[in-house]
Amino acid sequence: MILDCDLLIGRDITTGRRLTAADMQTRLEAAGIAGGAVSGLRALSYDPETGNREADDASRTFGWTFVCGVDLRNPVDAESRMAAAADRGTRLVRFATTRQGIPGTAPRLRLLTRRATALGLAVLVEGSTRSVGLAMMGLGATVVFLDQHFYDAGEFILAAREEPGFHASTRLLGGPDAWETISEHVGAQRLVFGARSGWSEEHSALERLRSSGLDATQQGLVTSGNLLRLSGGPR
Amino acid sequence: MTTRIIDVHAHLGPWFFGPDRGSTADNLRSMDAHDIDIQLVSGVEAVTYDAVSGNPALAAAITGQDRLRGMFVVDPRFLGEGETQLDELLPSGLFLGAKIHTDYAATPAGSPQMADALRLCAERKLPVLVHSWGTQLLDLAETVAQVDDVQVIAGHMGGPAWRLAPEAIRRTDRLWLEPGYSQPEADRIRWVLDRAGPERILFGTDSTLIDPALAVGAFRAAGLDEHEEHLIMHRNAERLFGL
Repeated sequence: MILDCDLLIGRDITTGRRLTAADMQTRLEAAGIAGGAVSGLRALSYDPETGNREADDASRTFGWTFVCGVDLRNPVDAESRMAAAADRGTRLVRFATTRQGIPGTAPRLRLLTRRATALGLAVLVEGSTRSVGLAMMGLGATVVFLDQHFYDAGEFILAAREEPGFHASTRLLGGPDAWETISEHVGAQRLVFGARSGWSEEHSALERLRSSGLDATQQGLVTSGNLLRLSGGPR
Repeated sequence: MTTRIIDVHAHLGPWFFGPDRGSTADNLRSMDAHDIDIQLVSGVEAVTYDAVSGNPALAAAITGQDRLRGMFVVDPRFLGEGETQLDELLPSGLFLGAKIHTDYAATPAGSPQMADALRLCAERKLPVLVHSWGTQLLDLAETVAQVDDVQVIAGHMGGPAWRLAPEAIRRTDRLWLEPGYSQPEADRIRWVLDRAGPERILFGTDSTLIDPALAVGAFRAAGLDEHEEHLIMHRNAERLFGL
């Protein structure tokens, strides 16, 4: 079973593209991806309340895992929204740092990561160890870096050695041996299959999976086991 | 894919990002994993450090390797050195084209130095793969249009600026597109293909920097019909490079 930790539904203002939940489901089925963890672009770009409702509805309809989207441009609201989501049993929150123009040096990023950690939430962050990692170190946080590029795979390994909660999405780990090197140094339990299907080219990530040098156990962790662990299991 | 596959954008030599891949065996292993028949390779050393030492090192490495054909790296800032080296290395028959990297060689695509470099390549009848990123894709098209007879492949197809690709090829009929990219957006190749036509696109991977899986997956997602597949995966390259 393959799950994508980086599903987004809605409209992307930068490219003008839109992807409904039904479109996403069709696309996932065509690619052989069973589901994943979904946030709403409406929540990340415009209105967390209605956008999260939209993503939550979609997750219930299609059996995906809901990821609470917060707006870091309103960190006070983000804090209360995370607490409410945790109360309802949500295990994943998405920080859209780049999309919302929040740099890794902004204190709110570290403060909200600490708050998320205290609430038992795993943070899916649009960024890498290079761009936002420093804000998230030393907190005992569970983080999936959604934009960890293979250029910085070595930095991820060094950071992950010190941070047992650090994970990397596979989406931009397209270098030869990047998956294998990370697995060798810090274990396949730190890699989470992410393709950002429908926005990024999921068939590229799938082809990388097909030709990877990971054994069956490692592949199982990467494609579904690790995300299920982080999200608390199937919905 | 079952058709012949020619990868027009590849490298040979170790990269500094970590993978310990630097030998011809590494290239061939990666090619076999993705059914790639031929790679046109430039030397990593020549691109990122020194063309003077990197071009002959590549020639030595690919001698006797039928599946690896050379791309001679031209540094537009030092065309005299390049001319001398071309005189020495072209007779070997190992080099089928040239490669120019705008960033490493600090030469913008729209600069007079780029035009001079392309002119040198045209005189030697070498098709040129030029690194193209962002709006420099359009600058490259303008430069190509100014240089008689040169045939240029826009490596990366502008990267994040790929939506400019159809406009770029409208400005000259001697510019082709190679869409290798480490951050491939969904449906990108089909979008460009429907506007540019299969005669203007070539398969490329940027291996061994990027795993060929990314390009293979992206082209698979484009759903190429048989006609498109033959042109993109090998015939366009065969015609350009005389393969």
